[in-house]
Amino acid sequence: MTLPLLAVAAAVAAVAQLALPLAIGRAVDAVVAGGAAGPRLTWVFALVAVLMVADPMRDLLAGLAPAGRTGQLRRRLVRHTLVLGARRPDPAGDVVSRVLTGAAEAGQGGVAVVLAVVSVVPVAGAVAALAYLDPWLIAGYLAGVVAIAALLRRHVRDTSDTVVRYQRAQAEIAARLAGALAGRRTIAAAATVRAEVARCLRPLPELSAAGHGMWRVLARSAGQSALVGPLLQVSVVAVAGWLLARGRLTPGELLAAVQYGALGAGIGGLVAGFTRVARARAGARRVAEVLDRPVPRHGRRDLPPGPGVLVFRDVTVRGDGAPIIDRVSVTLPGGRPVAVVGRSGSGKSTFAGLAARLTDPDRGQVRLDGVPLPELAADVLRREVGVAFERPVLVGATVADAVALAHDRPEDATVADTVALAHDRPEDATVADTVALAHDRPEDATVADAVALAHDRPGDATVAGVLEAACASGFVSRLPQGAATALAEAPFSGGETQRLGLARAWHARRLLVLDDATSSLDTATEAEILRLLTGDVRRTHLIVAHRAGTAAQCATVVWLDRGRVRAVAPHRDLWADPAYRAVFGAVT
Amino acid sequence: MSAGRETAAALRRRRRAVIRLLAWSLPEAAPAVLSGLVVARAVDDGFLRGRPVAGCAWLSLLLVAAVAGAWGARQTNRAVAGVVEPFRDELVTRVVTASLHAAAPAGAVARMTQQVETVRDAFAGLVLVSRGFVVTVLAALLGTASLAAPLLIVLAPPLLAGLGLFALALRLGVRWQREYLAAGERLADRVTAAAEAARDVAACRAAERAAGHVDEAVAAQARAERALARLAAFRSLTVVVAGWLPLIAVLAGAGPGISTGALIGVLTYLAQVLVPALDLFVATVGNAGLRFVVTLGRLLPLATGPVSRGAATAPPGPQPRLELVDVTFRYGAAARPVLRNLDLTVAAGDHLAVVGPSGAGKSTLAALLCGTLRPDRGTVRYGGVPVTDLDPATRARCRVLIPQEAYVFGGTVADNLRYLRPEAGDPQLLAAADRLGATALLTRLGGLRAELRPGDLSAGERQLLTLVRAYLAPAPVAVLDEATCHLDPAAEERVERAFAARGPLVVIAHRISSAERASRVLLLDPDGPLLGDHESLRVRSTRYREMTGYWAAGSQPAGPAGPLDGVGPAARAHLGGDPAQPVADRAR
Repeated sequence: MTLPLLAVAAAVAAVAQLALPLAIGRAVDAVVAGGAAGPRLTWVFALVAVLMVADPMRDLLAGLAPAGRTGQLRRRLVRHTLVLGARRPDPAGDVVSRVLTGAAEAGQGGVAVVLAVVSVVPVAGAVAALAYLDPWLIAGYLAGVVAIAALLRRHVRDTSDTVVRYQRAQAEIAARLAGALAGRRTIAAAATVRAEVARCLRPLPELSAAGHGMWRVLARSAGQSALVGPLLQVSVVAVAGWLLARGRLTPGELLAAVQYGALGAGIGGLVAGFTRVARARAGARRVAEVLDRPVPRHGRRDLPPGPGVLVFRDVTVRGDGAPIIDRVSVTLPGGRPVAVVGRSGSGKSTFAGLAARLTDPDRGQVRLDGVPLPELAADVLRREVGVAFERPVLVGATVADAVALAHDRPEDATVADTVALAHDRPEDATVADTVALAHDRPEDATVADAVALAHDRPGDATVAGVLEAACASGFVSRLPQGAATALAEAPFSGGETQRLGLARAWHARRLLVLDDATSSLDTATEAEILRLLTGDVRRTHLIVAHRAGTAAQCATVVWLDRGRVRAVAPHRDLWADPAYRAVFGAVT
Repeated sequence: MSAGRETAAALRRRRRAVIRLLAWSLPEAAPAVLSGLVVARAVDDGFLRGRPVAGCAWLSLLLVAAVAGAWGARQTNRAVAGVVEPFRDELVTRVVTASLHAAAPAGAVARMTQQVETVRDAFAGLVLVSRGFVVTVLAALLGTASLAAPLLIVLAPPLLAGLGLFALALRLGVRWQREYLAAGERLADRVTAAAEAARDVAACRAAERAAGHVDEAVAAQARAERALARLAAFRSLTVVVAGWLPLIAVLAGAGPGISTGALIGVLTYLAQVLVPALDLFVATVGNAGLRFVVTLGRLLPLATGPVSRGAATAPPGPQPRLELVDVTFRYGAAARPVLRNLDLTVAAGDHLAVVGPSGAGKSTLAALLCGTLRPDRGTVRYGGVPVTDLDPATRARCRVLIPQEAYVFGGTVADNLRYLRPEAGDPQLLAAADRLGATALLTRLGGLRAELRPGDLSAGERQLLTLVRAYLAPAPVAVLDEATCHLDPAAEERVERAFAARGPLVVIAHRISSAERASRVLLLDPDGPLLGDHESLRVRSTRYREMTGYWAAGSQPAGPAGPLDGVGPAARAHLGGDPAQPVADRAR
């Protein structure tokens, strides 16, 4: 709707702009002839009035149309990226530039096309008008344009040298500053701030010299382009004057010819218009590259009751060269801790990702309690399966938001966790049963409601529960506003982030995958968490492990070697094998 | 407005450059001044009298003016460097100084340099264009006055009305531009956060929720873009009013008294000089001008250095003695204290190790001890003098802090080693390196004169260099805050023994072996701090026993693959055996 309007406004403005010089010329002739512009002036007035409406209208619409379109593209890009998750091969910076600049350029598409097409009108029209006034005027116009073209050829000077030099000096200052800021504690303690300021600013004279150099190059170009306007004016006026002297042109027409000469010289604007179209197309391509990537599809099935038995059936994930996971078939018992070990590059993380459906096999199938993962509904996956990473990235406004990312109905979890805190064995059934004992109608809702009555803000309690479980409540409570502290104001260490990442996944009912998720913890805390995990029989734990001690605490070990399962057995059985022991020696 | 004051002050400081710029503006304006006059004369005295040669002779005057104008344009572009480049230098200096002084510099380095560049570009455009506009408009009015002075009164009202309208638009525009910039930054932040967390969001199946967080920013950005579109519409209205309405006024007001040439000359001034100048001015001020004001306004708070605390410099007491007296510290009013009522003295001959789980406040303790953090309650004393009475340089003479993140800067090896003791000779540097086991590293780097590139060094190498540097520091007390975490245990031991022989030493321990070497051990436990030595703490604290057991396991994995990192599966079994065993119980 906006684009047709834009086309109309732009076209009307262009035509009015084109007609204006002629109308002014006629009015001048009237003044010269009769002393009063009279009715001729009405035309000028009408055209200016049209411009007064059409010009602002065009600029308004040219700004409004891309705003909406860009926003739409950005929303789609962000969703697509977030659904793809780890399946997306490109780095975060690439996504950011696609969402920010790619979408903005693509959003300009329609507007760019309309304006580029309309921009032909004044230039072509001006040349036509000159021919209409007198064909000889074209000669004057062409002479001017040729002179300009010759100038512009010399104008394209190589500025890249000075620009590169300037940017290098600038980057050097930035790098020194970044280094000094990273060593801020050293500098503050040593009271060497002044020396550091001087060190960071040492490349400044170079920056300044490069900056002056840039201006010298620019100055030459500016001098040349200052010749353009007067040159064209002189060449058109000379021809028009000659025609005037011959009586073939009126004074008003001479004035109009000068203006048409200037309008006709706007070839630069024409080029810019089509460059904008090309940029918009490039932006649209960059957006499409992301949106064309297929997203994982989810089924509608729920999980039947079960302990969380995980079955890999002939699963293959292809990599660039050798397969990352190669024809793996394995059945893992439910409700037990299972370790995944192997040298780096053996496919441990991919194996873990397959179990949690962060990635899909190229061949074969993964089933949880008998259901193939792609047949499960997305919210079932969210509820039943959790993943904790080695380097979790926290998202959300506050610490509590970040931890509750996967909680869809915080109240349910609140109740379960809160009550579970009072239990040695925090099993769902136990909790529900215990509370339900006091009720006539032992339904989940009733239980939940009953317990939730005791909470002021149930959302916090959920968070508190999982934080406690992941040994994170201690340091979170020391934050300025506890769990309500903004993430941006809480710089966490690697170990603290890991514990929050674990808390975020803790809600999972059927399967919790730990992809090297405790590697940055001090050993006492790690042991505490492992003790909790390995003693918890209500769900399956799949633990990617680098330390032998971790594998020893799991019921079973899946030993991966170059994408294949080398053995599935308890740690103590495997330990006799020197090749197995070497897995741990090599890693640490 | 502070940005305005700042700009005015900068221009005043560069008075000579400004005068040069204005002086060169006069020849630059020559074509503008002469254009109408020459056209009028060429028409009246040449073409209309049937003397085209005389007309062309007049026009050739315009060619001369064009050459002068081109020369002027070239010189003004050079002269603007004298205004703009020093302004940029000042900004860079202030930003660097302020961010190194700030406790927690807000905004990344990249953003700061980017903002400085934005200000520089916008400032240059603004200075060039607004100066050109004033000169050109004055030239056009002067020319009009010389051709037909009474017409000035006719064309002035619409011109002034248009400019007034523009001033109004600018007032609105500053706000809109500020919102636009803020929205753009917020969007970039949110998209970056989302893209970096894409894997995690996908794993939590929370794409919709996380995308909602970005949607707000997308919508805000679109709103800001729409507001700027309104501003653009307002701007083009200004050009029509201030540019074309005067032309109508002249046509309507021109009586029979005016010659044909003069009328054409005045209209040439308006259509060929005033309208293009207005167009450029409105576009530049409306874009670059607003960007300048807004960006400078945001940069100035960053570029304003903190008022240096005029701490009275009392000399510290004679003996090296660091004391914490009844110190309590928390990271915010609502937070639980990290340290509570802690007393600690570090005196001559002391070798103290601080241990505890991550997040227990070990680094906080180091910062308090070094006076870089102020306690909420209690005092920190150096040689009996409260640190608040000592200036940073005096504090630096009492103790040296080596934080975990090693600060190595680009420069020679010797520059880096001499950082805290500039007068140290080469033999001294080499002796210190030898003492700490860094001789091999120095040889590999190419000796003391070799240039260092911090990015090429491993984390361990950087730590070793900063340790040699700290060893050379004149301060008697050394505080190692996990400063050896990237060294292997043997290198760590050598470093710690060397420092212990050098003077009082506090080690925030990364491995438990640091505690075994220390004469005293401070255990920071969530249940309260405990001070003793290695043996006594093993007896008194379960937590400490647990840590020593596990840490020992974790710190020697590189050794021969013994049974399970030194802990047999049977010995470990009890850890995971009984989930009912209360984890939190840690009776001392």
